[in-house]
Order: sequence, then structure tokens, then C-alpha cells
Amino acid sequence: MPVTKDALWYKDAIIYQVHVRTFQDSNGDGIGDFQGLEQKLDYLQELGVNTIWLMPFFPSPLRDDGYDIADYRAVHSSYGTLEDFRKVLDSAHQRGLRLIIELVLNHTSDQHPWFQEARSSQNNPRRDWYVWSDTEARYKGARIIFLDTETSNWAWDPISKSFYWHRFFSHQPDLNYDNPAVREEIWDVMKFWLEMGVDGFRLDAVPYLVEREGTNCENLPETHTILKELRRKLDEQFPGRMLLAEANQWPADLRPYFGDGDEFHMAFHFPLMPRMFMGLKLEDRKPITEILQQTPEIPPSCQWSLFLRNHDELTLEMVTDIERDYMYDMYAESKTMRLNLGIRRRLAPLLNNDRRRIELMNGMLMSLPGTPIIYYGDEIGMGDNISLGDRNGVRTPMQWNGGWNSGFSIAKPEQLYAPLIQDPVYGYPAVNVLSQRESEHSLFRWMQRIVSVRRATAAFGRGSIEFLYPANHRILAYLRRLGRETVLVVNNLSSTAQAVELDLQRYKGNILVEMFGNNIFPRVGDLPYLLTMGPYQFYWFRLRRV
Amino acid sequence: MMETLSPGASSRGRAEVIHTELKLEDETFLTDDFLRQLINVGEVDILVGLATHNNAKTIGSIVQTIQSGILQAFPRERAVIIDADGGSHDGTPELVTGVSIDDVRRATNPYALRTLHSISTKYASSPASGVALRTILAAADLLRAKACIVMSPESASIEPEWVSKLLRPVYRDGFDLVTPTYRRHKFEGLLMTNLLYPMIRALYGERIREPYSSEFGFSGRLGSQFLNQNGWNDGGGGAGVELRFTLAAITGGCRIGQSFLGEKDHVERHAADLVPTLRQTVGSMFSALGADFPVWSVVSGSQPIATTGSDQELLLGPMRINRKRLRDMFSTGVAELESVFQSILSPTTLAELQRIAHLGEEEFHYSAELWVRTVYEFAASYQKSVISRDHIIQALAPLFRGRVFTFLTENRNASASEVENNIENLCLEFERLKPYLLQMWKSRE
Repeated sequence: MPVTKDALWYKDAIIYQVHVRTFQDSNGDGIGDFQGLEQKLDYLQELGVNTIWLMPFFPSPLRDDGYDIADYRAVHSSYGTLEDFRKVLDSAHQRGLRLIIELVLNHTSDQHPWFQEARSSQNNPRRDWYVWSDTEARYKGARIIFLDTETSNWAWDPISKSFYWHRFFSHQPDLNYDNPAVREEIWDVMKFWLEMGVDGFRLDAVPYLVEREGTNCENLPETHTILKELRRKLDEQFPGRMLLAEANQWPADLRPYFGDGDEFHMAFHFPLMPRMFMGLKLEDRKPITEILQQTPEIPPSCQWSLFLRNHDELTLEMVTDIERDYMYDMYAESKTMRLNLGIRRRLAPLLNNDRRRIELMNGMLMSLPGTPIIYYGDEIGMGDNISLGDRNGVRTPMQWNGGWNSGFSIAKPEQLYAPLIQDPVYGYPAVNVLSQRESEHSLFRWMQRIVSVRRATAAFGRGSIEFLYPANHRILAYLRRLGRETVLVVNNLSSTAQAVELDLQRYKGNILVEMFGNNIFPRVGDLPYLLTMGPYQFYWFRLRRV
Repeated sequence: MMETLSPGASSRGRAEVIHTELKLEDETFLTDDFLRQLINVGEVDILVGLATHNNAKTIGSIVQTIQSGILQAFPRERAVIIDADGGSHDGTPELVTGVSIDDVRRATNPYALRTLHSISTKYASSPASGVALRTILAAADLLRAKACIVMSPESASIEPEWVSKLLRPVYRDGFDLVTPTYRRHKFEGLLMTNLLYPMIRALYGERIREPYSSEFGFSGRLGSQFLNQNGWNDGGGGAGVELRFTLAAITGGCRIGQSFLGEKDHVERHAADLVPTLRQTVGSMFSALGADFPVWSVVSGSQPIATTGSDQELLLGPMRINRKRLRDMFSTGVAELESVFQSILSPTTLAELQRIAHLGEEEFHYSAELWVRTVYEFAASYQKSVISRDHIIQALAPLFRGRVFTFLTENRNASASEVENNIENLCLEFERLKPYLLQMWKSRE
């Protein structure tokens, strides 16, 4: 089943985010690789996702899990070869799976040859590929992002005796996008992968490409100009490919990244994610509806990208101080769970392994406007290991079965790139793909069903949304509409049973068809439509006029 | 639903474990529409009750102030503001519900984590604080509110901090009832300082400065207990229910505290308001004494209660009061109601009152001892129902005015501490003469 030719394919995508290193080790060295990933493509097809997002797999000193790239045109030797990557790409496409890869545009590793040349002398031709200064006094308006580790956005380079600019770790110098040669080189890098056949890029840390004095050096017009130029070239030379923006910003600041449909195709909706967790804990839809009310319209060809968890901490940058304190107290009672302005935990532990809450959150993920992303392992309820540093606790090996190294690798356990989760609740003997495949009622099987229903319902990916506001604030209800298709979604955010009356007067005469069991519910009449809902229950109904 | 009210921290140990059980049929006085609103609100941690009637001038800002208070002190708690309205014609209920913080109205508030409902219901009978309080208590019970407050719908001096000051001791510290204390003029609240406070203190042993207030906080447990035990259908659902609420907390052995709120705005009252006020307060207290006899008859002395902030603060500025009219009404009353007083008062007390009624303004003095004897004899006669109980309460009005005249005279130039001292002496007099009341009570038996 080859991939479709629909230019808006990303609207119907269900993306599976995975790091090659974490998924399957084929050569027994304890590190996942491309050949291992290829072996597991059938699994992803079985799950039902149709797009894979690969995290950075390039040569790198791995001081930031690959986000410190040392060569943009190769594969890290631990993960295989460029040929191995090509095989994965082709195999994925043969199965109808698209593949998007990740590029870090803003910065390189300090081990990248470009930086090594740049720092070697003030007169080196590559000197101006990075941002240098004799003092730390420039760009004081820029915030420090990694508050836990960095004290300045400038770092001293003892070799060239000057400061270089970095918005992230000090070993990740920012590229100088005011230099046309840099912009040209980056497009060449993108072309390299596009010509190979990748379906799109997740572009990391895009708000920070350009620096200007007197600004916070984020979301600058010059940055948008550069991004639009990349998009123009992409559309001209590689139509049907997709750009996904990673820009952890408020919705109003994110909106320009879509331009007039001429910049990014998709962007993560960062502020929504923590508010879904907040709404669940508060048992109140207010945080969710409020942020979506504040979310501006985007061009028809564009799409939000939604997620519950990913490889980073559950970021709390886009919340108020009161909300952040609440989130910490509710979801990270131990300070070791907190990192930067966020919580470094996986989905299942965040929700106390409560199956009903996990299902409800996934139900919202799949039915709110946007393209959902599933973080590897969350489909089986994998746990985390907060004793590992940084964000490594949510990047442990995939748990395939209850056998040796969970089926991830035949290496000795001590050779694994990271220890397996071993605790009694989330450890691989208890939580693994094999056992969940064998249980009709496992989370994996449930995820298969919801992914299947979501894929069969175009209104979720492409339809409009209209919130209903029943007086019961514990109920989050909305209509998704596309053409003649109307879907009613009703979520009970409460831990207790709730009654709710929905104003469906406009749909008088319709019957409601529950979309998982295809059971018919009573016809909509003159009175408000009464539903009783169990704790954390949700319904998807297709409205049908009979 | 079965709840147990623990004895609390009362040192008197007179409380018993009380079981309360809410039956839904008991709540049939709530309208279907109100019940629907309550279902939508669901379980709450905090409930704020308002008993309104044509308060459009003040209610909007008061609800906003309450909302601010909740958001400041309890941003994470599930809260609701409930308005029990006595049939306003000025749009009061709409003003209450119009300032709801929820996602429907898109009133984005960066401090509001969750929906804060404001709902309103009109009860069928004419405006009565008892019906309103019953409605609020029933709502609190159905919503399983942990801590509640009732706020005045006309208090212009309300501050957001009042919410915290009344709620926090209940919600965080386990108190069952929190009454307010205020900063106010030394000649305001004279019924409180000359009768209610000292008499309740003497009889029940608890030094509650404002046992009858339009603002107070209480636990859900106490609210449920009172809801189920109070005689709502025997006419007791009307006036004075707030005072009975306080007395129920005392006799229930609940933990009681008081919290200093700040300045209480002055409410002008007409002379004609006195008798209804006496009915609501003194009448309610006298009425409760019969049932409460097993409790108060064994209490001697009094004890302070836990207080947050000042006990009471007095302002000393000038206040215009027609003292001469007070004394004239006293003298006229004593003369005109002689036959009534003969049924109520002892011959000694009546003779003494008649004696001072003839004194000139300079010589007139209604002593503390005589006042306490008067009140106690009224209480005993009320209990005995020597004449119509309402007539007994009405007959107290001219005598209270005479006592007020003396209080004003004694404290005309007094400092705050001197006024406090005089109030304290009056309290001690009530305590000293309590055996006299007991003696009359027992002789009646």
C-alpha cells in the first residue's frame, strides 16, 4: 500500500515519534539502529499509524541526544549507514508509512567541522557562519532557555578568544542566518534528504534563527523571511513534502509561522498540551476551551500538531505561574521529576497508570483539531525512570516482550545505551508489546481501535470544531464537521459519573451512532439531549439523519 | 449520606456524636431549575452563600469582590457562589450570575484555574433570611461543600480578604463556625454589646463577639447538622436563624473561632426597626433557651474563643444620636406598658424601673445590674409564656432604649479601652447574675 499523493496528507496523518536508538537493536551492540527499525515497521503498520517521525540520527557527540549535530549529511555510526536509512525509508513507503525526519536548523554541535573551522581563526571563511562577540553585552533581551544548566546565552571560546552565541546548551553554537552562505548550505542539506525521499522535516527550535539588538531574539520578521524562503524552494522543487515547526510559543506568536500558508504546514500546539493535563486534574474544561478560544484561525492548508508526551519534558513555559505551580504539585510531587520549566515524565506515570484517564487523554488527542502524535511506548503504557539524568528517563528502550532485554537487544544488559524500566508496575515483564498483543482488552489493542476509527473519520483531521458549552463544566463537548459529516465528541473530565444536557436542537431528528461499537443512541428531540457518563468516559458519536 | 460530627475542641465536653442523614425528599423545597444548576456545579470544596432581595446597587461589586477573594486564597479549590433570592424586582439574580467566571462568558482570568460558578434561585415565600439560609445549607449539603460562608449582599466595605478570613479557619484549620469581629464605632451594634454578646457569653460560656452576623463561615458538617435538625417548618425558618445557627454550633460542641474582618459599614436603621430586630435576635435566643437548658444550665463562667486578628476595634468619632428621644421612649413605655410589665417583671425590678423613669436626664441611670435582672426576667417570662411571646419581645424595646441611653451617657467621652472595660463589666454582671436566671427557671419548673 504505497503512500497517497494527497498534498494535504499531513492532515490525515497519525504520527509515531521514535528515536532509532530506542526502538530495536539489530546487531547486539545495545543501541537501536536502522535495521532494527526496519524490522519493526510491521508493528507500526499493525498499530495503525501512517507517519513516522524520526528524531535526529546524525553523527553527533550526543551531548544532547543527537540535537547537537556534527554532520548533516550522514547517519551516526551507532545507528547504521545511509544505506540502512534508505532501506527504512523505502520499506516504510511500501507499507504506506510516510517518514519525516528532524533537522536542527538553529545550531550545530561545537564538534561540527563548520564550527571547528570558524573558531580556528578570526579570518577563517567559516568564521561568519556563527555569531561571535567580544563581549557578553549583546542581545540582553534574550531569555535563557535551559535555566537549570546555563547562566548566559554567550559562551567563551578559548581558541578564538571571543564569545559565541548559543540559545541552548553552550556546546551548541547558533548558526548565523544573516550569512547567505549558511542559508544556502542549510537548503542544500534539506535537498539532500528530500531527494532521498523523506516526506518532511520537523524543524527544531525555529524561533531563534536570527538575533537583533533590542529584541528578545525570538519570532523575528527576519526569521520568518528565511523560513518562507525555505518553504518556497520546497514547494517548487519538492511539492507534497511537509514542514513541521517546533516553536514553543503562545498561539498568537505561533500564528505567523503559518504565514499565508506559505511558511510551515504544521506547528506544534504547545500551550494546549499542559492544559489537557490541567483540565483533567481540575476536572474542568476551562483550561482547554480557553486556550483553544485564544488559538487563532490558521490557513486552510495548515494544521496544528497535537501531542500528549514527547521526548522532552512536559513543558510548562506556556502557562501562567499559578498554573505551573499547580501542575508541579499535581504531576511532579518529587522535585527530581522537574526539569527546566517542565516535568520529565511519561504519559502513564503522569496519569497514575489509570487506564480510564489514559484512554480519555488519547481520545482528546485524536479528536481535537490537529494531527496527533504518539510518542513511542505510550501506546502500551510504558513508564519512565526518573533516576536517569536530563530527559533520559523517558527515552529508555522499547519494551517488546518479557524476555531478554525486553526483546530490544541481545546485548548484555549493561551494554544497553540506557537501562530498561524494571519496576514492578511499568517494568518490561509487566508492560510489553507481546503480552498486550495477546490481550483483546490491552491498551495496545485499544489504541489500535481508536487509531483506526480516527483514520476512518476525515472530520477529525480536516473538519471544523465548534464547542458546546453544557452547564456542567466537567464535560468537554464539541462538534467536528466536514462536509456532510458531523461528529459529536463528549468527554467527561471528572473522576465521578456525570449527567450532562447538550443543546443539539439544530440536529433535531438525527440519531447518534456511537463510533466504536456502532450502536444507535436515541434520536435528538426537542429537549436537551441527556447523557450520563461514567468516570473519565468519552463518547464519539456520528450524527445521522435517518 | 451519613455524616458524623465530631465533638470538636470544646473544653466543656458536652457534645455528643451527632448523626445526620440527608434525605432528598427533604430538599423538595428546592426548585427543579435550581437542582439542575446544582447538578451542573457538582461537588465543591467551597460555597459562598448570598441571601439577596433587591440588592442591585451593591451585588455586582460584592460578587466580584468575593470572586477575587476566592481566586486569591483558594485558586485551586472547587467553588461556587449561590444566591438565594427573595424575589428581587431589580435584576439582582441576573447580576449575580452575570459575573460568573467560566468559559462560556469567555471571561479569561489569568488567576482562575477552573470554572467558578455563580448561580441563583428564587424561593417561593416572601423574603426571609431563614428560607434563604435553608436554601444555601441544602445546596451546600447536596454539593458536599467542605467549607462555606454567608456574605451580606449589602456590605459596601467588603474586601476580598474577608473570604479568606472566614473560610480559611474552616477549610484549613478544622473550625466549624467562624464568626466575624469588626472595627466599628463604639455606639454601633448596641444590641450586640448590651444584650446578645454578654447574655450568650454568660449562658453558653463562649465569648463570641458577634453571635448574630450577616457574615460568617461554617463547615459543611455543621451546615448539614443544622439543616437536618432545625425546625424549619415550625415558623423557625424565618427570622433569627443566624443566631440559632450560632447557638446550634455551641450546643453541638463545635470548634468555634472568630476572625477580624475590618471596618463594617454603618447601616442606618430607623427606630421602627428595633422591634423586628429584637424578634430576630432576642426572640430567637429566648426561644432557644428552653431546648438548650441542659447545656447552658451547667455552664459557669466563660472562656475566650480562638480569634484571628483583633478581638474588636472601636472607632471614637462623633455620632449623632437623639439621646433625649431614647429616654422619653423609655419613660413613656414604662408608663404605658405597666400592666404588661406586671406580668413579666418582678415587683422589685418594675418598681426600680418606674423610679428611674421619673428621673431627669442628668440623674437617669439604668444600671448594669438592673438591666441584667430585667433581661433575665424577660427570658424567664418568655419561657413561661406569661403573655404572648411577641408582646414580651415588643415590651423589651422601650427598656432597651433606656439602657442604651445610659450606655451612651456612660461612654460619651470614654476611650476605646474604657468602652471595652464597660462592656466587659456588663458581661461579668450577666455571668454573676446567672444563678438568678436559673433560680427563676427552676421555680417555673
